[in-house]
Amino acid sequence: MVLEAEKKGKKKTIYTPDMATITEISDLTPTEKQFTIQIDDQETREAFRFQPGQFVELTVFGLGEAPFSIPSSPNNRESFELCVRDIGNVSNALHKMAPGSKVGIRGPYGNGYFPHEKMKGNNVVIIAGGIGMAPVRSLLKYILEDRQSYKDFSLIYGCVDPANILYKDEMQQLKQRDDIEIKMTVDNPDADWKEAVGVCTNLIGDLKYSPEDTFIVVCGPPIMYKFVILELDDRSYKPENIFLSLERRMECGVGKCNHCHIGNKLVCVDGPVFSLWEIRNLKEAI
Amino acid sequence: MLYKILGKNEYEDFLSDLISKNEVIGPKKKDGAYSDFVAIKDPKEIDTDYQKTTLSPAKKILFPSTEDLVAFKISDTIEAEGIVEYEQKVLLGINAWDINGMNFLDRFFTTDFIDENYLAKRKALTVIGTDSVPTENNFAHHMNSEYAIEGFDLYFSDLGDRFFVRAATEKGNRLIEDFPRFLDTSEDDFKEFNRYMEDYRAKFKLNINMKNFIDNFESIYDKEQLWQKLAEKCYSCGSCNLTCPTCFCFNVKDDINLDLKTGQKLREWDSCMIPEYGLVAGDHNFRPDKENRLKQRYKCKLITFKQKYGKNSCVGCGRCIEACLAKINIAEDINTIMKEVSI
Ligand SMILES: Cc1cc2nc3c(=O)[nH]c(=O)nc-3n(C[C@H](O)[C@H](O)[C@H](O)COP(=O)(O)OP(=O)(O)OC[C@H]3O[C@@H](n4cnc5c(N)ncnc54)[C@H](O)[C@@H]3O)c2cc1C
Ligand code: SF4
Ligand code: SF4
Repeated sequence: MVLEAEKKGKKKTIYTPDMATITEISDLTPTEKQFTIQIDDQETREAFRFQPGQFVELTVFGLGEAPFSIPSSPNNRESFELCVRDIGNVSNALHKMAPGSKVGIRGPYGNGYFPHEKMKGNNVVIIAGGIGMAPVRSLLKYILEDRQSYKDFSLIYGCVDPANILYKDEMQQLKQRDDIEIKMTVDNPDADWKEAVGVCTNLIGDLKYSPEDTFIVVCGPPIMYKFVILELDDRSYKPENIFLSLERRMECGVGKCNHCHIGNKLVCVDGPVFSLWEIRNLKEAI
Repeated sequence: MLYKILGKNEYEDFLSDLISKNEVIGPKKKDGAYSDFVAIKDPKEIDTDYQKTTLSPAKKILFPSTEDLVAFKISDTIEAEGIVEYEQKVLLGINAWDINGMNFLDRFFTTDFIDENYLAKRKALTVIGTDSVPTENNFAHHMNSEYAIEGFDLYFSDLGDRFFVRAATEKGNRLIEDFPRFLDTSEDDFKEFNRYMEDYRAKFKLNINMKNFIDNFESIYDKEQLWQKLAEKCYSCGSCNLTCPTCFCFNVKDDINLDLKTGQKLREWDSCMIPEYGLVAGDHNFRPDKENRLKQRYKCKLITFKQKYGKNSCVGCGRCIEACLAKINIAEDINTIMKEVSI
């Protein structure tokens, strides 16, 4: 018997990572760092194409593997970025690494991503909370790189403290543009804070877009979803045009370990992005 | 399907021949009521009327409790290579519901992404099935699993003085050709087979009602008190998962060897009934309560794959009932759920 993997001359199974190099590391906040990652093998690198909302499985060899969303633009083909919070085994180890370090990458994974094709010709609103910025930033970049294909574009971004805001400089630059409206809010303002205070649901009321031609993307902690959805419902936005990225424990990323299942869906292969309509029909999704 | 007859007096020779040419795994008496599937060297070792095994022999071979997936070497750089291990084996004496359990795993491990660690072992396995006597906790007949229509290469049904043999694959056909003492079937053999199947099916005594179960399950989904009652005595030990022929959840972890230069990524069975299953970084748990975990196990066994594949992942073997120290009983619980909504 000859297996597919052996035919190709190297043993590569669905669990085998490709080798990659961390080329750059920068601090985003006191708890989050940005890693620029380049896949070593040129052919594999060229074949690595992802959609906004997809994720990779990253291995720190000897320590383990964890899923991370890709926050960079799909148009950047040479390397991609990850935004990692310092919170457990794998993420702690990553935070201690230096440029030039080797990691393993599998993916990109997730058949459910943000449906940017369908969004074309419509208004788009992105609502992000905390580290929920990571998965949606890819879509944000992608839309800005092809801005004329969409109608109005808004970003609502909420964080606990001003210090937690991800991509702070980038946000300031975007504020200079007149083709995107950016609203930020924090729970605990400091003396320099000049924008809104409170949860990001408060800012949904300001949206003037009609439900007919508006797509909404939401990503943040589980608790945020409940309140955001109530607000969106009040304004009659259509559940089939609202997209949420879900997080669950994942051990494999390829639909086998089952940890991320919600009813008959798997977050890794059916998601991680689901429409609100799908989520409504899935018990325990949010 | 190819149908053949093998005389009882020829059977031992067939087995001897098989054992001389292959690594044969079959049932051997262990302690008490239990038998275990182990390597067989002599046909006399085979426990032909085994009733209980702790694990499904198919799952034991195809999806071992721990398995290396990737080997890596750390030097100036790192190299990683997939590990796919398999050996040609003959699994002899597996019963119908365990074949159906294996059929579920076959489908699961080749859906979406193909798991070559499983598939390689499966392709290298020859499966020879035979009926065994159901325990009092077996409800395979309610799960369409008391009879196997695929997944085996040969299947032997004991008609008393002869075996009625079904060959479902080319591999099975070859085994028949290699042992030229199989006979063609007559009309009478089929009649006898039907009589045999009727007697066999009458041995399944457990009665459960699963009419419209999916809809009924939805309707009681949020009845917290009911779930608290069903799960009240659960110790969250996970024995029900470990013995189930179709439970497939696993964790993946990295291990580094003592030389600090080599290591492996491996998988280990996990269990959805233990609290850590839904735990993620930052101490958030998506399923902290035992009643939610029991509910999700029943959903996975009785609903999810009926929706996805048209067939439950539970094959009704009754192992989880026998393994549970808290006497939590999936068959009784199905009836309890049905009673909640009975008209
Ligand atoms: C689709 C998806 C996208 C994600 N994107 C990001 C991101 O962009 N940035 C970021 O910082 N984090 C992200 N996470 C969370 C991240 O995968 C890790 O869980 C987190 O970094 C902690 O992992 P650890 O190994 O360091 O922690 P540990 O607690 O030591 O993790 C041990 C194991 O548990 C699993 N695990 C623990 N917590 C989680 C969790 N919350 N979700 C899933 N699995 C978990 C991991 O697979 C890991 O193998 C994402 C999770 C998912 C499911
Ligand atoms: S149902 Fe029984 S076997 Fe399963 S976890 Fe609970 S106590 Fe253990
Ligand atoms: S859930 Fe219980 S009865 Fe059903 S297949 Fe698994 S162990 Fe057997």
